[in-house]
Formats: sequence, C-alpha cells, structure tokens
Amino acid sequence: MIPPRSAGSARVVAGSGATVARVYQALLTRRYLTSKIMPLLAAVAVMLCTGMVIVVWSVMGGFLNHLVNSGRVLIGDVVIEWPNAGFPYYGDLVKRLEAHPMIEAAAPAIVTYSLIVLPDNRKEMVLIRGIEGESFARVTGYESSLWWRPIDEPLRKDAKREDPRLDAGIKGILTEVLENGRSLTVPGPVGGERLPAVVPGIEVSGFAARRSEGFFEPRPRLVQRGSSGGEEVLSIFLPRQGTVTLNLVPVDSQGRILDIASVTLRVANEFHTGLYEMDKKTALVELGELQRRLKMDRATRIVPPERPGGVVERPDGTESFSEGFEGIGVEPARVTTVYVRGRGEANAEAVASAVGEVYREFAAAHRGEVPPPGTIDIRTWRDQNRTMIAAVEKETGLVLILFSFISVTAVFLVLAIFWSMVAEKTKDIGVLRALGASRTGVAWVWVRYGLVIGVIGGLAGGAMSYAIVTNINDIHEWLGEAFGLYIWDPRIYYFSEIPARFKWLDASVVAASGVVSSAVGALVPAVRASRMDPVRALRFE
Amino acid sequence: MSTHPSTISMPAGGVEASGGGGAIIRAESLHKTYRLGRVDVPVLRGVSVGVARGEFVAILGASGSGKSTLLHLLGALDRPDRRSGSSIVFDGRELVGASAGVLDRYRRFDVGFVFQFYHLLPELSVVENVLLGAMVAYGRLGYASRRRALDERAKELLARVGLGHRLRHRPAELSGGERQRVAIARALINGPRLLLADEPTGNLDRATGRTILDLFSELHAGGQTMVVVTHDEATAERAAGAGRVLRLTDGRMEPAPGGSG
Repeated sequence: MIPPRSAGSARVVAGSGATVARVYQALLTRRYLTSKIMPLLAAVAVMLCTGMVIVVWSVMGGFLNHLVNSGRVLIGDVVIEWPNAGFPYYGDLVKRLEAHPMIEAAAPAIVTYSLIVLPDNRKEMVLIRGIEGESFARVTGYESSLWWRPIDEPLRKDAKREDPRLDAGIKGILTEVLENGRSLTVPGPVGGERLPAVVPGIEVSGFAARRSEGFFEPRPRLVQRGSSGGEEVLSIFLPRQGTVTLNLVPVDSQGRILDIASVTLRVANEFHTGLYEMDKKTALVELGELQRRLKMDRATRIVPPERPGGVVERPDGTESFSEGFEGIGVEPARVTTVYVRGRGEANAEAVASAVGEVYREFAAAHRGEVPPPGTIDIRTWRDQNRTMIAAVEKETGLVLILFSFISVTAVFLVLAIFWSMVAEKTKDIGVLRALGASRTGVAWVWVRYGLVIGVIGGLAGGAMSYAIVTNINDIHEWLGEAFGLYIWDPRIYYFSEIPARFKWLDASVVAASGVVSSAVGALVPAVRASRMDPVRALRFE
Repeated sequence: MSTHPSTISMPAGGVEASGGGGAIIRAESLHKTYRLGRVDVPVLRGVSVGVARGEFVAILGASGSGKSTLLHLLGALDRPDRRSGSSIVFDGRELVGASAGVLDRYRRFDVGFVFQFYHLLPELSVVENVLLGAMVAYGRLGYASRRRALDERAKELLARVGLGHRLRHRPAELSGGERQRVAIARALINGPRLLLADEPTGNLDRATGRTILDLFSELHAGGQTMVVVTHDEATAERAAGAGRVLRLTDGRMEPAPGGSG
C-alpha cells in the first residue's frame, strides 16, 4: 500500500504561505547554476565588469594618491605663506608651532621665482625655495627625495642593474653628493669651507635622462656657444661639475623691487619627487644664501641724514660734515613661508586649524610687524595643489562613470540570459505553481539566482582585480616582453611604475554593485516568471 | 461502475457525487471561456460535478471537450469565468474567489497533480523531484524539522511505485512509465486528499499504461480520492471498474447512463 502521510508532515495552517525562502529555491538555484553554461557566462560577464571597474579605480586612485604624495614631499601638511616681502620673527613662530601638541615640526623657507641659467646656457623660469636642509627634512620628505645617493638594491624594473647609483666605484662620490644635498652646500676650494649650493629638480637641467627601467643616467647635451662660438657637446655629471646662475628679484619689507641679483652656485645634488611639474620647475637653495641675495637677511635699520653732506655739530661743540646714514635699530631676517608637519597621522585640516591658532598668538606678540592673522595664507597641501588634484579627481570620476556605463551592459546581459532561461524553464514554473509555489516564491527563484550569479561574479571580479592590481607592473612587464605592448611608459608618465592601489572598501562597493546589478537584471525575468499562467506554462512547447 | 451506495444531490444537469465519505469537492455550473484573438471560445458550459471522499472518478472526453480545463479548475490552477455563477467547494471551503494565497495552500496540501507528460524537473534526481512538493509546501525551518520523515516518505513512495533502486537517477535516465511513477510519487508526497490525473497513460504504451492504472486502483483501494481525465475508453473502463465514469462532450457533462455513474 501507499504509505500514509507521516505525522511529521502535518498539515500547515494558513499563514505558512507568507514564508518566501524555501528549500526548493536554493535547490533549483544550485542545480540551474551547475547544469547550464549560460549562467556561468553571466557570472563571467559580472566578473569582468566588476574586475574592470576595480582595476580602473585602483589605477586612477593610485595615480591620484601618487600625485598627491609626490606633491606633498616638498610641502609638508600645512603651509604658512606671505609671498614676496615675507615676515620676520619666523624663529619665534617655528618655536611656537613646534610647542603645539598637534605639530611635529616646522621649517622656514623663502619661495620666489628665478630665471635659471643652465650649464648649456638654456634659461628656464623656476620656483626657487630657500630652505634649511635639516629643518626642511624634518617637515618634508626632502632627504629621501635626493636622487643621487649610493644604493645597494636596484629598482624593480632594473633587472640588468644598470642604475649608475649601484656602481660601487663611485660610491664615495655619491656619498659626498648625498651629504652635499642634505646641507645644500658644497666643499669650498680651501680647507673645510662650505659654499652654498643649489639642488634643482632632476628634470630641470636635462643633463639626466630617464630610462624606461625608472632610473636616471647622466647624458651629454649639445651646447650653443653664443653667435660665433659654434657648438660643443657638454658631458657632465651635474652634482660634480655643474653650476647654474640664478637671477633673483629682491623685494624690501615694503614690497619695493630692488636691484636684480645674479648668483652662480654649484649644484649639490638633484631631487626627484616623481611629480614632473615639481621636478621640472623647482630648485632648492640654502636659506641663508637666498636671504642674503634677496636682502631678506638680518640688517641694520637706518634713516638717511637730514642734510646729506651738510655740517653737523658734535656734542663737544666741534663741527664736521655729516658722514651718511644713521642706524636706528635692527631689521630682522624674513622668510616668505613656513612649512608645517602634523604629528603622527593628524588630519591636515586639523593641523591647519592648530597652525591658525598658533599664528594668532604669534601675531599678537609681534603686532604691527608681522601680517595680521586674517591676511596671511594658511593652507593645507591639498589646497596648495588643488588645481592639479581637482583635475585628476575629475578625471578619475569621469573614467569611473564611463566604465560604469560599460558595466551596465552586465545588467542587460544577465537580463537577456535570464529571459531566455525563464522561457526555457516555463514548464518548471508551471510545475512549481501546480505544486503550490506562490508567485513571489517563483519570482524569488530567479532573483535569488541572479543574486548568486552576482555574488559569484562579484567575488571572482574582486579576486581577479586584486591579482591584477597587486601584480600590475609584472603583468605590464610581461606584456611588454611578450608582445612589445608597453602601455605605461615611465619616460612619458614620469612614474617608474604604474601606481595602482587596491582599496578594499572601493572594491567592496564595486563588487556589491555587481551583485545588485545582477539582481536587477534578474528582476524583470523574475516578474515575468511569477506572472506566468500555470496552465499555459504547463502546456508550453 | 459505482459500488458506493450513498449519493449527494446535485443541481439539474450535474453529476452527483457518490460514495460513503460525502463530497470532498463539488463544482457547480462551471463556465470557462478562452479568448482566441477576438473570438470567445467556450470550453466549459455549466459543468457540475461532485466527487465523494475515497471515490475514483474517470472523466472521459474527446480531445477539446474541456476535460483538462475541468481538471485545472478543480485543482485551482485556473479560475472559472467571472460572474458566471461558478462555484467550487472543497471540504466546505469555496475556492472561486479565494485569494491566491489560499489557492496556493490548497495546491500544496490538498491536491496532487499527475500530468500526461510527467513534467519532472530534469535537473533534479528522482528523489528530489518527489520531495519538490514538500520543499514547496514547507518553509525552510519547517522542511528542516521534517526532513528525516519526508525523506523516508519519499523513499517509501518510490519503493512502492517500484523505483526504490533509482533514487539518484535523473529523469532522462528513466523510461516513460518510470517517469510517470515518479510523478505519481511526487503528487502523493504531501498526502493530498484529492489526486487529479490528466491523461496519465496518454503518453505510455498499453502495457505500461496498465501498470499505472493498477497503481491508481491500488491507491483508490487505500482510500485515495481520485479524478482521472482521459480520452481513452479502455482507460476509462479500467477506472470504471473501481469507480464512476463521467462523459464530457463539448463542454457539457453527459448524464450518467441509468442515472448513476
């Protein structure tokens, strides 16, 4: 006899139909997924779309991050600036800043422009920064930016170890050059005398050529020698034999332009931040030297005689001709800029706020002699580079939008695949309805199916993109070696490597979007399935 | 012919239920019209039928007579025409006009369907096909709590229909008769009070069809209420051996010869 219904399968009373999640949905999802090739193709489509967006986001994000950090190398977190005329008592300001708990270090500097005359007589307009090597290094990544130094390990792409800095034969020279760079001085011709020197960005002179492996090597340049001097090839290593001439425009404390000053300085080293604009358009000079040349150093404050050349009666009653200017005090040295570095991982905006607070106290202590708090510029590194950062951010957003539009195809792909699968499974839907499955329950089979495909595709896309992003330079290198396909040329981009950065949060957002997209793609076919007339579905041929 | 002494009175033009257990389902004045383009095609024209508890009713009719439509209405897979005065009462509950949720529950627990073309899901194994009805009927927790009992019942049902050794096979690996036996086991998994079979032997050879009818006879002997629709006189006669035969012609039920089924 046919067995009676077991006691365990007691009749379910009204209300049980409200439960949507049922075992058959999970079973069908699993079986449909493993018995058909089309859902796997849909999962591959989701994987490729999510993977593509994550890779693009990682590369663009890494690019932006690299740009920002490169720009930050020679700026620190916050900049206090009073251009041209500068402000005095900066030593006191630095002391006050460094006493603040949020501030790690501060460094005075002068920022001005100069026409630089290079060894091959080319003239370039550059930004000159007068700095103290030691204090500047505490605030910024200056020391690590000095390019010429002895190294033991080659750059990642320099498999043949061709970087001249690896050459043990010139290790002594490079060590000295590194020391010169740190102090922004070079040894003088006699004794232990040190002469002020300049450290230009490595792209300024053109005497160092960047190789595709990412390192620089000195290169000869053709030099024009005046109208009748002809041409000669100049082959020099700039930090050993190079000199440059800076043409500076001094401004007095009232902002009046004084006589142009020309100074010829030897090159101590070259710096490399990775940011082309900075490496091409900036040169660093020892602060004291720049103050002297710009007449911003400490000086005697004078007043002109009332009657120059006139007769002056002395206290003892004798008379003489007046001798000239009379000193009435001291004009303190000035700087235009103070760079500030926050303590630890302090937020730049918070540091800027602390700096503003310190500056108010400083201005109160030197009322009338320093710019009032409301007028001086206090900006974060992001504010300083906002044009560039905003441009790259916009570009990143634009690229992401474009790729997201492309990824919308995944939705339609899932929709198309599911539409045909629903058609193929029409009889199954009829059977489910005949067995008592609700419309919602049938719809959930397909939405759940879409979600599972989305999860598989999203996770696979995340894993794929992680593998690509973390090995992007190796992949790029392999593409170059195997197919001659070099998409990222460091000679063009001025980064030796593709600056990708995998962010778990971003990747999770994209993967989750992939899951949602799949569910959305499955929604329309799911509604279609749920609205199917069961009788027609069972008769479907 | 009917061996059940008691009858339930039916309206004129209808067919009374007969049997000792009272009518489990009673349909009155069923009208169903399909629309083909701009033309209305009436399929059922005022059909009334009652089925008593434990009764075996065979509905015989030519192709297009409306017998499958009648079965679909009795099983709440379809609804009769609106405002036609149709009524289907199952175990004292009116199904016409009932909510979708009520009808879903009716199909889960009160009726079982057997189709001509079996309609097994090809991706599922034999035992999974049988359990599908239980999976649909119970929520996740409900199913989990009954899992062992349901598994046992599915295996017992399959053993009874002679497929105890093919639990893990896929439908594609079975013959037509075996597939139909799996479909019968599936229809019985939730212990329905009414089994509806639509041309259950229509796709089988005569010998295999006989084994299926034997199975139905056995079910009926065990107290199962059944309605089988068929176009085949021989099948109807086999069913008539255990119960009643009703004739459906052109959307109308013919009066039973001699006044009874």
